[in-house]
Amino acid sequence: MAEILKNRQLQLVVMALSFLMVFLPYFLNIPALNTASTKLITITAIVTAFTVALAVIAQFRRGMNIINRRSRGWYFKVYMLVTLVLMLLFSLMGRESGPYHWVMYSVVNPLSSVNYGILAFYMASTCARAFRARNTKAMLLLLSGFIVLLYQAPLTGAFFPGIEPVALYLGDTFGFAAGRMFLISVTVGAIVFGVRVIMGNEPSVLGLGGEE
Amino acid sequence: MADILFSIPGIINGRILGFILNITIAALVYYYISTKKQVYIRRVPGLDAIEEAVGRSAEMGKPVVCSFGIGGLTYWTLAGLRILSHVARLSAKTGSRLIVPTGGGDQSLIVRPVAEEIVRTAYILEGAEDQYNPDDLPFLSGQQYAYVGGYIGIMQRTRPGSVIMTGSHASDAMNIAETSNAVGAITITSGSYISNVAALACASDYILIGEEAPAAGAYLSEDPAQRASIRVQDLFKWLAIAMVVIGIAANSIGNDLILRLLST
Repeated sequence: MAEILKNRQLQLVVMALSFLMVFLPYFLNIPALNTASTKLITITAIVTAFTVALAVIAQFRRGMNIINRRSRGWYFKVYMLVTLVLMLLFSLMGRESGPYHWVMYSVVNPLSSVNYGILAFYMASTCARAFRARNTKAMLLLLSGFIVLLYQAPLTGAFFPGIEPVALYLGDTFGFAAGRMFLISVTVGAIVFGVRVIMGNEPSVLGLGGEE
Repeated sequence: MADILFSIPGIINGRILGFILNITIAALVYYYISTKKQVYIRRVPGLDAIEEAVGRSAEMGKPVVCSFGIGGLTYWTLAGLRILSHVARLSAKTGSRLIVPTGGGDQSLIVRPVAEEIVRTAYILEGAEDQYNPDDLPFLSGQQYAYVGGYIGIMQRTRPGSVIMTGSHASDAMNIAETSNAVGAITITSGSYISNVAALACASDYILIGEEAPAAGAYLSEDPAQRASIRVQDLFKWLAIAMVVIGIAANSIGNDLILRLLST
């Protein structure tokens, strides 16, 4: 049975059929296909949930393996597994209140916010390195960046009212156009990628290397 | 939304053009792959630089760090996995240590075993299975910022020669790219959404923009037929540019033909 399930052709057939079951109802007005598509999406959601559960178990086993081998940093794995089990138990007591809620809202979220806040300094150091007027293009970029930065700063509108329309113009025309261009290019790339996947030319989908 | 230009029975109005374009793209990709047509495709500096980056790491005796994003099995992740496969083979060939930080989201737990299998296969294909170390694919956390903390820690401790960050990264991308730059690694990244692209372009040595990352599988393939499929992307980008230019011109003179066509 395992050998049949590992058959690459079978995997590709299942993938192609699943794709068609979701792709076609979006464009074609066939009620039976719509129902089948909705059911398939529900099944996928359930299977994904089970896959996450399986992945957690696999992670647990991997962690235990590292601890048993006393590999480098094994004590971090002990910490990870203990917190994993504790959070699982806490979540069973309820997620809206109690210890799970406390850990998430008093420990995890503030720590994540701190990390997010540090991002400002990373952005500042990147900008300091990148925004140098080496040539005309860089000069224009620097100028645009400066105008948008001033617009975003508090009280700029009060002291320099002329900045706002220029900054909005830059964002609404150049920024918006670049965003649309990015979207079009990514969408076309994704469709071509999808076709290659269905044709079996993207082995990474099946967990294989490059040129198998 | 403007009135539609035409309708086809059985196809939902407003989605006809999308359906036709999808079918056309699929047919063209099939045509290019099956006829093994030799076509010119432009170079992608970000993908070309991977070999140089891994080679530099090997010369310096430093590790290579490569990640495939924090998302589930989306096309960004799959493209990242394809690049990971290439990097793993290059690392195995050059004897560089490859570190693959994994995690960052609940869905990333599903991707991890796939990545593990890809790296292991790459080492086997290069005859270097003994070099493969599963501990070099650490699962850092299911939380985005805990993952970033772990990732940055790895870079600070191991001082890699190159960092290749692909797949879907969100705000964490800047922390990783900037730290990579600070430790002196060659930084190759891919921006999976527009807000990231500008920042990553400043922080990285090379960046994959737009469809360049999803095209990596075909681009890195030795097979010219696979590479030819990239041509379809370029053709459709030209079509999009033409539609935009004609649409602006037509709309400016009061003709809504393109608008109606796009609404079809």
